[in-house]
Amino acid sequence: METNSKIILETKNIVKKFPGVIALKGIDFNLYEGEVHAIVGQNGAGKSTFVKILNGIYVADEGEIIINGKKVNIRRPIDAKRHGITLVHQEVTLIPYMSVAENIYLAKIPFTKSPLTRINKKILEDFSKKYLELLGLKIDPWIKVKELSVGEQQLVQIARALAENAKIICLDEPTSALTPAEVERLFQIIREMKESGKSIIFITHHIDEVFRIADRVTILRDGEKVATLNIDQAKPLDVVKLMLGREPSKFYISREKGYKAKETPVLVVKNLSTEPEKIRGIRLQNISFDLYRGEILGIAGLLGAGKTELGKALIGVEKIVSGEIYIEGKRAQIKNPSDALRHGIYYLPESRRIEGLVLLLTIRENIILSSIDRLAKPLGLRNIDKEKQIAIQWIKKLNIVTPSTETRVMNLSGGNQQKVVIAKALESKPKILIFDEPTMGIDIGAKVEIRKIISELASQGLSVVLMSSDIDEILALSDRVLILYKGRQVALLPNKDLTRDQLMKLISGETQFFETPVPKAA
Amino acid sequence: MSGSEKSSSLINLWRKISVYEEIKPLIALIGLFIASAILSPHFLTPYNQRILLLQTAPLAMLALGESMIILMGSIDLSPGSVMALSGTVAAIIFINYQQSLPIAILAGLATGALVGFINGLLVTKAKIPSFVATLAALVGGRGMVLILSGGQPIVGLTSFRIFTNEIIGVPAMVWIFILFTIINIVLLKRTSLGLKVYAIGGNEEAARYSGINADTIKLAIFTLAGVYYAIGGLMMNARLEVAYPWTGWGYELDAIASSVLGGIQLTGGVGSPLGPTLGAYILTLITNILILLGVNPYVQWVVKGAVLAIAATALTRGLKYVK
Repeated sequence: METNSKIILETKNIVKKFPGVIALKGIDFNLYEGEVHAIVGQNGAGKSTFVKILNGIYVADEGEIIINGKKVNIRRPIDAKRHGITLVHQEVTLIPYMSVAENIYLAKIPFTKSPLTRINKKILEDFSKKYLELLGLKIDPWIKVKELSVGEQQLVQIARALAENAKIICLDEPTSALTPAEVERLFQIIREMKESGKSIIFITHHIDEVFRIADRVTILRDGEKVATLNIDQAKPLDVVKLMLGREPSKFYISREKGYKAKETPVLVVKNLSTEPEKIRGIRLQNISFDLYRGEILGIAGLLGAGKTELGKALIGVEKIVSGEIYIEGKRAQIKNPSDALRHGIYYLPESRRIEGLVLLLTIRENIILSSIDRLAKPLGLRNIDKEKQIAIQWIKKLNIVTPSTETRVMNLSGGNQQKVVIAKALESKPKILIFDEPTMGIDIGAKVEIRKIISELASQGLSVVLMSSDIDEILALSDRVLILYKGRQVALLPNKDLTRDQLMKLISGETQFFETPVPKAA
Repeated sequence: MSGSEKSSSLINLWRKISVYEEIKPLIALIGLFIASAILSPHFLTPYNQRILLLQTAPLAMLALGESMIILMGSIDLSPGSVMALSGTVAAIIFINYQQSLPIAILAGLATGALVGFINGLLVTKAKIPSFVATLAALVGGRGMVLILSGGQPIVGLTSFRIFTNEIIGVPAMVWIFILFTIINIVLLKRTSLGLKVYAIGGNEEAARYSGINADTIKLAIFTLAGVYYAIGGLMMNARLEVAYPWTGWGYELDAIASSVLGGIQLTGGVGSPLGPTLGAYILTLITNILILLGVNPYVQWVVKGAVLAIAATALTRGLKYVK
C-alpha cells in the first residue's frame, strides 16, 4: 500500500456480545482509500459480525467507527448507506418474486427523496442494464430473481451494491457460490472498482484469493484481531497459521483410490434425460454412469452444468423424461425423496439452510428426521431418551460443536450445520450418498473434517456421489470423475493421472456468462 | 442491594421457566382469573365456572384442530362451518331419520372428517393455498348447512345431553376437551407424526428432502382437524339442545385467536400443543367477565381484539420483524 493513502474508515475497540459468547473482543481496524482489504478467519472468528456492525445490521456494544476522520453513529443499514458503506451478503438478499431490474433499482430507493418518484419500465431497464453490463452479465433484466441460479443471484447482488454508488463495499464471501470463471470476472470487477477509488473489504475462506486480489489482510481468530499484514510481505502459509492458531496438519486429505468393478454396481444410471423444474433449470441429456460399493464418483462441472439437477433427478425431484435407474441390479422407480430413502439413496443439498435443515428444530430432532419412522415404534411413539443417545453419538462421531443436543440448528455455524445434515443422512442408513457441494461456504477446518468424513464413509463401504465446483476437492477424493457441461456428459474418467489443468479444460468447454468484453468501471 | 439481588434471582427464575412455551399464556390466564374473581362476586360461583367451561369446550376443540394446521404452516378458515355442518348432519340423522344417537354422532364425525379430507385434497392435489381452499369450505360448508336445515333450527336434541352429563361433578364435554388436549400434547410432542408436523411447518422443503411425505401428513392433519371441529359441533348440539344453522358463525376467527393467544405462531413450526386450550379458555373468560360486569356486549369485541393484539405483541417480542 502506498504510504500517502488516506484512511477512509477506522474502527477502535469494537466489542460485540451475543448471549453466551463475545463475538468481537475489541477490534481495531483501518481501511485506506482505494484498497482491497481482506478479512480472513475460521467460522466463528467474527468476520461477518464485524462487517455487519460496519453496516448497521448489528450495533456494537462498545467502540467507535470513524469515517473520514469523523466519528459516526451507525445503528441501521440506512445509516451505513448514507455514509457510503454497503454490504453484499453471503446469503442472497434479493426479493425473489421481483425482476432483476426492480431488485437493482431498489438500491436507489433509499436515496430518492419523494415516495412518489416516477418509475417506469424504461427507467428500470436503463438503470439496471447499466450495472448488469458493467458486470458483463448476460441476464434479462425482466426475469424474476427466483429463476436465477445461486451464482447469478450473487452477481446481481454485486450489481445492486454498485448501483448504490457506495465508497466502501463489503463483500461477505462473495466467491463461495461462484465458479472459477465467475470468480475471475469478480476479481476483474474488484480491480476496476479499486482503480476508481473505491475501498473494498473482502471476506473469504480462500487464502489463494487473498493473495490474488488483496492489498492487505486482517486475520481474525475467536473474535480477536491477530494481525494485519501487507500482502507483499506475507506468505500464504503464515496467514493460514495465524488463522488456525496452529500448524495446519492436514490441509488437504488424500485417499487410496480405485474401486472394484467386479461386483454388481450399487447404482446404474442409463441415458437419463430430464425436464427442468425451474424455467431456467438445466436439461440433462443422456447421462449414463455406474457407481460401485466403496467408490467416490466425483461430478465436476461449472455452475449450470447440471450437477444439482442430476442429484435431484436421482431422488425424484427433477422430472425424468427418459432413461433408467437401477439399484443393486433392480430397476427403481423413484418419484420423490421418500421413495429414494426407501431405496437407500440420500441427497445432501447444496443449500443446506433451505433444503437441508429445519432451523427451528433442535439438533436431535434434525438428526432423527429421516429415520423417525424406524425409530418411533410402536404406534409412532417416540423415545426421546433414545433420540438423545443417537444425537450424542453423532455429535461425538462427527465432532459437532454445540452446547447440547437440544440446541436449535439455527444457532450453529455453517460447518456444524453441514455435519448435522450428514448425521441425519447417515442415521437413515443409506447405501448411496449424494453430496452436493458439501464444503461450500465452510471454514477450512470444517472443510478438511468433512472431506475426511466423506473419505471414511467410502472406506466403510458406502457409495458416494460427490458434486463439487472445487476441483481440488474432486481430485483429492474421487475414484472416478464424471464431467458435465451444460447438462451433457463430457467424460467419465478414472482419477488416475488426471491433472488439474486437464479437468479445468474439460469442465469449462466455453464461457457461459461473460461474452461481452471487459467493461469499464463506474 | 438486596433488592437488586432479588430481582436478578427473579430474572434467573424467569429464564428457567420461560423455556416452556406455555408459560406466557398460563400466566395471562391466572392473572385474568384472579382479576375476574376480584372484580365480580359472581365469577367464582360453581354455576358460573360450569358455564365458563361448557362455553370453552367447543372452542377448545376448534382451537386444538386449528393449531395442528397452523403448526404445519397452513391455515384453516373452515372450523366454524364444519362445526355447524357436523352438528346439523348429526341432528338430521337423529331427528329426521330417527337413527340412534351413536349413529348420529358417527355421521357428524364422518362429516367433519370428509370436509377436512376435501380441504387436504384441495391443498395437496389441486395446490390451492390453504387460506383459499378453506375459505371455499367456509362459504360452501355454511351453504350446505342452510340447504340441509332449510335455514331452520333443528330442535329436540335432549339426547345429546350425554355430553353435558356430569362425571365426577364435571360435565362430560369438559373431560372430552381436556382429554383431547392431552391427546394433542402426546400426538405433537411424542409421536413421529408430531415431529413431521413441526418439521413441515418449520421448513417444508427440508422436510420433503428428508424423506417426509408432506402431502400425506397434510391430508391426515386436515382430516383429523375436521374430526375435532365435528366434536365441537356435537358439543354445541348438546349445550343448546338445538342445532342452529348459524352455529359457529365467526368461530374460525376465535379458533385462530385462541391458537395465537396460546403461543402458536402463524408462520408455523413454533408453539406448545397445550397453548390453544389455554387460549380458548382466556377468550371465553374475557367474554364471561365482561357479561358479569354488565359491560355493553359490543365492547366485548373491542376488548377481545385489544387482548389479542397485546398477547401477540408479548409473544413476538424479540423478533426482528414479522409479516
